[in-house]
Amino acid sequence: MIRPDRGLGLALRYVAAVAATLIFIFPIYWLFMISFKTPDEIFASPPVWWPESIQFANYGVLFKDGDVLTIWNSVVIASVSTLLAMVLGTMCAYSIARYRTGGNFFSDWLLSNRMVPPIVIVFPVFLLFVKVGLVDSYAGLILLYTAFNLPYVVWMMRGYIQDIPLELEESALVDGCTRWQVFIKVVLPMARSGFFATAVFTFVFAWNEFIFALVLTRAEVTTFPVQVTHYFGGQSNFWAKIAAMSVLGTVPIFIAVTLLQRYLVRGISLGAVKG
Amino acid sequence: MSALRPPFADRNFKYLMIVPAVTTILLVGLFPVIYTLILSFQNVDMMFEDTSFSGGKHYAALVSDARFWESLLHTLIFLVVALPAELILGLALAWLFLDRMPGRQVFVALLVLPVTISPIVAGATWRLLFDNRFGPINQILGWFSDEPVTILWTVDPFYVYPAILAAEVWQWTPFMFLLLLAALSNVDRSQIEAAEIDGAGFWRRFTKVVLPAIWPVMAIAILIRALDLFRLFDVIWALTRGGPGTRTETFSIYAYILGFQQFETSYTAAMSFVVILLLVISITIVLRRMEIDR
Amino acid sequence: MGRLTIEGVQKHYGKVHALKGVDLDIAEGEFCVFVGPSGCGKSTLLRCIAGLEEIDGGRVKIDGEPVEGLRPRDRNVAMVFQNYALYPYLSVFENIAFGLRARKAPEAEIQTRVARAARMLGLEAFLERKPKELSGGQRQRVAIGRAVVRDARLFLFDEPLSNLDAQLRDGMRAEIKRLHQEIGKTTVYVTHDQIEAMTLADRIVLLRDGRIEQQGAPLDLFERPATRFVAGFLGSPQMNFIPCRVSNGALAFEDGRTLPLPRPAAEGRSLLLGLRPEHLSRAVDGDPRPRLPVEIDLVQPTGARTYAQFRLGGVEATAELPAHAVERPGARIDLAADMDRAHLFDPETGAALRD
Repeated sequence: MIRPDRGLGLALRYVAAVAATLIFIFPIYWLFMISFKTPDEIFASPPVWWPESIQFANYGVLFKDGDVLTIWNSVVIASVSTLLAMVLGTMCAYSIARYRTGGNFFSDWLLSNRMVPPIVIVFPVFLLFVKVGLVDSYAGLILLYTAFNLPYVVWMMRGYIQDIPLELEESALVDGCTRWQVFIKVVLPMARSGFFATAVFTFVFAWNEFIFALVLTRAEVTTFPVQVTHYFGGQSNFWAKIAAMSVLGTVPIFIAVTLLQRYLVRGISLGAVKG
Repeated sequence: MSALRPPFADRNFKYLMIVPAVTTILLVGLFPVIYTLILSFQNVDMMFEDTSFSGGKHYAALVSDARFWESLLHTLIFLVVALPAELILGLALAWLFLDRMPGRQVFVALLVLPVTISPIVAGATWRLLFDNRFGPINQILGWFSDEPVTILWTVDPFYVYPAILAAEVWQWTPFMFLLLLAALSNVDRSQIEAAEIDGAGFWRRFTKVVLPAIWPVMAIAILIRALDLFRLFDVIWALTRGGPGTRTETFSIYAYILGFQQFETSYTAAMSFVVILLLVISITIVLRRMEIDR
Repeated sequence: MGRLTIEGVQKHYGKVHALKGVDLDIAEGEFCVFVGPSGCGKSTLLRCIAGLEEIDGGRVKIDGEPVEGLRPRDRNVAMVFQNYALYPYLSVFENIAFGLRARKAPEAEIQTRVARAARMLGLEAFLERKPKELSGGQRQRVAIGRAVVRDARLFLFDEPLSNLDAQLRDGMRAEIKRLHQEIGKTTVYVTHDQIEAMTLADRIVLLRDGRIEQQGAPLDLFERPATRFVAGFLGSPQMNFIPCRVSNGALAFEDGRTLPLPRPAAEGRSLLLGLRPEHLSRAVDGDPRPRLPVEIDLVQPTGARTYAQFRLGGVEATAELPAHAVERPGARIDLAADMDRAHLFDPETGAALRD
């Protein structure tokens, strides 16, 4: 748009684009490759860029030792907290979008909750959870993630709901729906693509989260990012386990985000860009 | 008449809809802030649950706590280096990918992958990349040098900052890229062409036409990233745990060590509260300056 | 069933006073059209009847029962919206059945009622389709189907045809009128289009600035407008309003020309003469009507009729003539004025002078 598009220009740009993409993809490539390497290949100097054979022994160990349970913990905690945050958040978003409940102050306050550094939140929450016995439990982390993701859900869903023509809801009201029925029968189906996109991002936040999980889990409900850090030792690192566990925790996210490409910009810009 | 009055659920619908969310946030959002404030005026630590009023003792101690101020300084260093780097790189990439080219969508889809990775995984990945003997980075640097390169990236005080910044900038440049690409795509081409016809050079066209058009999105992107960088924890934890010594300790890491390894409960609370205040003040100032509206 | 009574209804939006005390009584089975320029309060009034807006004062009664405190669902009215308000994720059948399902009607009844509505509107072939697979006219039919399928006490239409192209609009207008004749339900219809209002209404309610300016049968309003505003709003091309003065028992214009007084008025009084373009014709010999010599300065042929413009009393006026009555500007002709059908308005208040 800003510069003319001649043949040579395009070729140069193409080379630059390939180079940039390779640079950004390389660390991910390296991580994946390590997870498929044998110990000899991992600890080779100079490093091996392409393993002799793709082998899954490193994953086998994780399954055998039961380390993959941390993936399961992450699945449970991220799914349940996402579901809760989506249900509570969408209800709240509907009220704000259509009735301006609480005015600007209320929605600003909601969003500001997301700006507080997690370390500040987790500290008193930890003390509270110790008292009520929620440390190292599914319930504790689920509650925390639900609350932490609620402002995001409200903010995003408010935008998606405002995109729905008001007439559809009014028509349903006249046709005999209660306000709750309008929400269930009209608003949710109309906002469903935004709803799923928001749910996936919410899930990713909970899935990737570290500080809360580090502080509030011990042995029982360790999530996968915490497990990854357990493999770092003072002297030697369990490279194979770090890589394999990281890949296990990353592949589902890659798949989800690739499927949601269309909503990516809106999702990560807090709705500022409708993309 | 009263029989047909709308039922309670319909009359108070808008409030009933926000009650569950607000309750949850108050419990896990507002409660901690208030509890932090209370704790900070008490004397709780690992040994004693001394809830008597301690005056401003912890706040006073904080003023002379060099490690605290250094941790804020470290946070600031990461912020002022990483943020412009991500912004400029992201803008350059967005510029590169703005026009049609074969396979553009695939490139973009691949480029955004780092954003979606758990920061802990990103840190771990770079720790593997930076390994002095088995990592590819020293190997690549060795190609340009006569003797083998054996930099201890995560230990050597001189190299830890570049190492952490590389990981951070690698992970979040695509975030800037994606938002700026969307913003640039929405710039009205006819305006740029009009400026070109009027004889405006490249730099003038960029600052007078393109920049104002993408500024709203850019401002939000900067704000989101600044808030993220301010609480930087995961990547550093995976790479250096704040070391060597306290060299890369950000405020978040210092607070974690104080609160969960040394159990200086009340002192940590005082620190947390000061940071919340600093944050609120700076956000208010920044928002005023940037004049962002909803 | 279906009598609607509105007493002193008030509505504010913040500082805007949208309805300033509206009184209205619509009989059972009547087709009543609210018409007026945008911002006059016609849609607001309709939404107050439906219960989509809460009123700030006054009463709304359906069959004598006050409903202003009720939810829309408890008022048992049906409404057709401007943008059709169809649910894109439901089939045509489910769209029509939506209101019945919301009221938990038995399945068998839903089937028969939807089938009957579809037959009435010629939608039988489309019942399994999604709204986006329909044309604009078909969508509008589905929207109407959603309303007629229910046994509602009132039908409310909020500018239902304004999104259709002109040709389709004429067809749908006729269909709505036929539907009303078939079903005979009390209908309140909002439009800004005076032709829709004239053709559909048993009674037109003309709103202006949150108040009823005049109401009555369409031809009644057209022939006996109470104010200059009503006279100007109804009729196309618009009625000519020409400033004049009563002088020597005749209407004298500032350029010296005169016309006889259509009804008595005080000598020396300033007035506005209201004369519709179709009540000016080319004078022929022996025509007893008063003559007005004019110089045509603009000719606009429309096919069957030609609009010829000329200056009179310091303003531009229009005459509606047969196709070839005037060929080009500059022609000097004599017009015959139908003074029996002329109106006189007070220039200050806009009120029509009555006998």
